[in-house]
Amino acid sequence: MEFKGVSRRNFIKTLGITTALAATGTIPPVLYASERRLVTYPEKTELLLLTSSPPQLETPLKYFRELITPNEALFVRWHLSNIPTSVDLDTWRLVIHGNVEKPISLSFDDLKKFEKISYTAVIQCAGNGRSFFEPPLFGGQWLNGAMGNVTWGGVRLKDVLKSAGIKTGSIEVVFKGLDKAALSATPGFLKSLQLDKALEDDIIIAYEMNGQELPMLNGFPVRLVVPGWYATYWVKSLSDIEVTVKSSESFWMKTAYRIPDDPCGCVEPGTAPKKTVPITRMTTRSLLINPEDGSRIKFGQPIELMGVAFSGGYSIKEVLVSVDGGMDWRPARLGIDIGRYSWIQWFYPWQPTKPGTYQVMVRATNSIGESQPLDGLWNPSGYLLNKIERHNLIVT
Amino acid sequence: MKTTILLCIMISLVYTSMIMAGDQGFVRDGTKRSITLPALVVSLKEGAGMDTTSRYCRICHSLDYITTQQKFPKAKWQAVVTKMVKTYGAPISEENAKIIADYISTYYGIGG
Ligand code: HEC
Repeated sequence: MEFKGVSRRNFIKTLGITTALAATGTIPPVLYASERRLVTYPEKTELLLLTSSPPQLETPLKYFRELITPNEALFVRWHLSNIPTSVDLDTWRLVIHGNVEKPISLSFDDLKKFEKISYTAVIQCAGNGRSFFEPPLFGGQWLNGAMGNVTWGGVRLKDVLKSAGIKTGSIEVVFKGLDKAALSATPGFLKSLQLDKALEDDIIIAYEMNGQELPMLNGFPVRLVVPGWYATYWVKSLSDIEVTVKSSESFWMKTAYRIPDDPCGCVEPGTAPKKTVPITRMTTRSLLINPEDGSRIKFGQPIELMGVAFSGGYSIKEVLVSVDGGMDWRPARLGIDIGRYSWIQWFYPWQPTKPGTYQVMVRATNSIGESQPLDGLWNPSGYLLNKIERHNLIVT
Repeated sequence: MKTTILLCIMISLVYTSMIMAGDQGFVRDGTKRSITLPALVVSLKEGAGMDTTSRYCRICHSLDYITTQQKFPKAKWQAVVTKMVKTYGAPISEENAKIIADYISTYYGIGG
């Protein structure tokens, strides 16, 4: 790391110093990746500011002490600066067209007539944790706050597509939201799914987050939910669905959001992959949430470490905790399991035997044996981060 | 009659409180939802090329896209400016692109 006077270890500690910023204000010219300010955007609580326009805001870790992330605390990530700031449900329509029997245009009420389903699923930005990559990378310098665990309510994409009648020869489904680029020369944010993926039962067009309407900044009135896959596919303020006979030429599929075509999705640090594929499923992760990295703990008092663990659609089977920098690993107790797309909480009672600095590490394994690497795997876009984190707790 | 008036008052109270419940910058008006984004301004460090950088690099996004990056050498910043032009269609001449890459690498990167 190359910050002047800020080492890798200090990096996280600097984060403790965040300053609140009024709704209108000037962001000072010196703003390294290690600094974050708290800002309040409409319908949102104080979140950590990454960029102001288009807004990219991350969730402070303390919100992950709860199983469900509150709507006002969920992270915000848009790509193009003309984001929808006003939607009237009277005139809003979701259009399904392309290689279909009959193109349809659904009002919000029409959409709600389809069977409603709901489940809890982790939403995570593909670049969550990018700031922890070494060597460092361009792109949003997310810490670990570009994620959350939300109960989504909506209708099956499959049911909606079938009501328009998918014609033979169809191979992909392309999704577009209400967001637009500042200049027409910039590629619009189009994402696509292969038809067989799009027809999976669990993919929904969500109109509810935790039983309430979506905040505007999280994609009001509806967004796509592709549980188990990174949020790049979860198109916000979804307004247009096209069934196509050709594979999408969208920049955001063909050039961006791609990973090395290798089982690890990785290459030698600093090198370019020979071949890439679109990023899809999330890697397995576990995080220590409480106490936070760098916390001081009173000696002699028993405490309970807690955190969350999740994987791309397969339940977490085991979470191991080490309090001695990875020498000895012991199983954590897992909280209630509310489904394979949700995160699970883990708890680890601990009474340090003597004062000192303890390195806490956590490692999760899912039901198909996927786990976390000890050292980070690297790819040029800073995706898939899931290395075992090291946190220092100071017992005094 | 009395009850109707009372009901009306109650409904309007509920309605007003619903609007109020939306925090700063959010308005719910019948079927319509609107937000007003905070007007945050990112200022850049004074230096040769600041004006050019500030003029062109905030056409499509705020300048914190620059200021929140980690420290990179000039060649990397040149590549980013080229990407903005070639991939995203930034209307920046070669001359200005050079001024911008010089400025950013000097003030936000690892020297020239
Ligand atoms: C024509 C529009 C446009 C202009 C002008 C523009 N950018 Fe960008 N820039 C984009 C888009 C689109 C993105 C991707 C946004 C995202 O994914 O959040 C981006 C992203 C970035 C990023 C993040 C890294 C990346 O590659 O995604 C940096 C750094 C950046 N721009 C710097 C600049 C600089 C420096 C300038 C001035 C030379 C500039 N931009 C001008 C459109 C533009």
